[in-house]
Amino acid sequence: MIRPGEIAPDFELPSAFNNQVGRVRLSRVDAEVIVLFFYPHDFSFVCPTEVLGFHQELDAFGSQRCKLLGVSVDDVETHLRWARELGGVGYPLLADVGGAVARDYGCFDEQEGVALRATFILDANRSVLYTVASPVNVGRSVSETLRVVCALRTGRLCPADWTPGEQPGPAGSKF
Amino acid sequence: MATLKAEQKKQRVERLSSVREFVFGVQDGVLTTAGVLFGLSGAVSGRLEVILAALASTAAGAMSMGAGAYLGTRAESEVIRGELDRMRRATQSEPYVIQEELLGSLAAEGLSRETSYRVVKLLSSSPKLLLATVEEKVYGLGGAMLGNPAADGLVMGAAFLVGALVPLLPFVLISNQRVGLAAALVTTAGALFAVGYFVGWLADSGRRWPSALRFLLIALGAASIGYLVGLAISPLGATAGP
Repeated sequence: MIRPGEIAPDFELPSAFNNQVGRVRLSRVDAEVIVLFFYPHDFSFVCPTEVLGFHQELDAFGSQRCKLLGVSVDDVETHLRWARELGGVGYPLLADVGGAVARDYGCFDEQEGVALRATFILDANRSVLYTVASPVNVGRSVSETLRVVCALRTGRLCPADWTPGEQPGPAGSKF
Repeated sequence: MATLKAEQKKQRVERLSSVREFVFGVQDGVLTTAGVLFGLSGAVSGRLEVILAALASTAAGAMSMGAGAYLGTRAESEVIRGELDRMRRATQSEPYVIQEELLGSLAAEGLSRETSYRVVKLLSSSPKLLLATVEEKVYGLGGAMLGNPAADGLVMGAAFLVGALVPLLPFVLISNQRVGLAAALVTTAGALFAVGYFVGWLADSGRRWPSALRFLLIALGAASIGYLVGLAISPLGATAGP
């Protein structure tokens, strides 16, 4: 799996967004921070808790000038139907059919044929700031992802369990 | 009305699950007793000794088989109930895990992921139905598998006794040992043939005769082996002193 400090591989994938099919190239996403999260499948009972969880926190991520991209191995038509099933998803769902992008990011489960629940937080230059991955049967925490985005946006030292609103550590201190 | 019919079908399947105990008991009673009769007749010459040994074997066999069926069914039911309880607790605390397992199971059986999702979502509107489906599709457990230990034990023990009488009665009633043995062989073969036919009839598979023949061949094979073993060990009986 790619690590903090590396440049995230660029890609272009079909996307489902606003009930329409389009294409998204990572390098052309206009945002100061990008949360790129992989999930195993549409039409499941764990994934929607994440997909909807991110959707419900769209404003909070937006306030950090952060954009969200969800990726799974489902095709774009399935993404469209899945987004409609969920009542709409306010960010693009990308169709990584075959899992080539997930493989590039090192988060493809070859045995299951799906992506792990991996999250990559990137800056505007696609430099990886943060990564986390969990097995397909354990959902990730949207609030923790938002906390990390907020912490990264401070540009300062943030101690363990730091939460938005708390005073961060001194600038320029790395450890 | 449709619900009643479904319930009746379920009860019928649950009753039929006792067939295993019945068939196993009868078959074992017939074969064990026939084996003792033919084996001992080959080894010792006294007719009364053979009858006494067969009676002792019948009593011990019926008790052993009945107790074994009771304990076996009870242990199996306890394990299954424990697994079901664990699943029910998991359903209450983490319903999505159970839903995901059922979805995966349906998808593995050929439904598309999307259709499986919709089926599971529909079933989830009734927790009881969801549980019952998960029990069957994910864990392969059905209500008929939760047997009644006491009933299974009684059926098994009684079936063994009935089966044992089949070769024993003609041997006891006919004073000539060779004729008695021949009659026991005929009744043994006939009884096993009938049990095989009965099982085929219950299964409604149209394979009643093959089922009957399979039982008959097993009977003849077991009886032959028992007799040959008796012949083989008969010199030991002749040389053993008091």
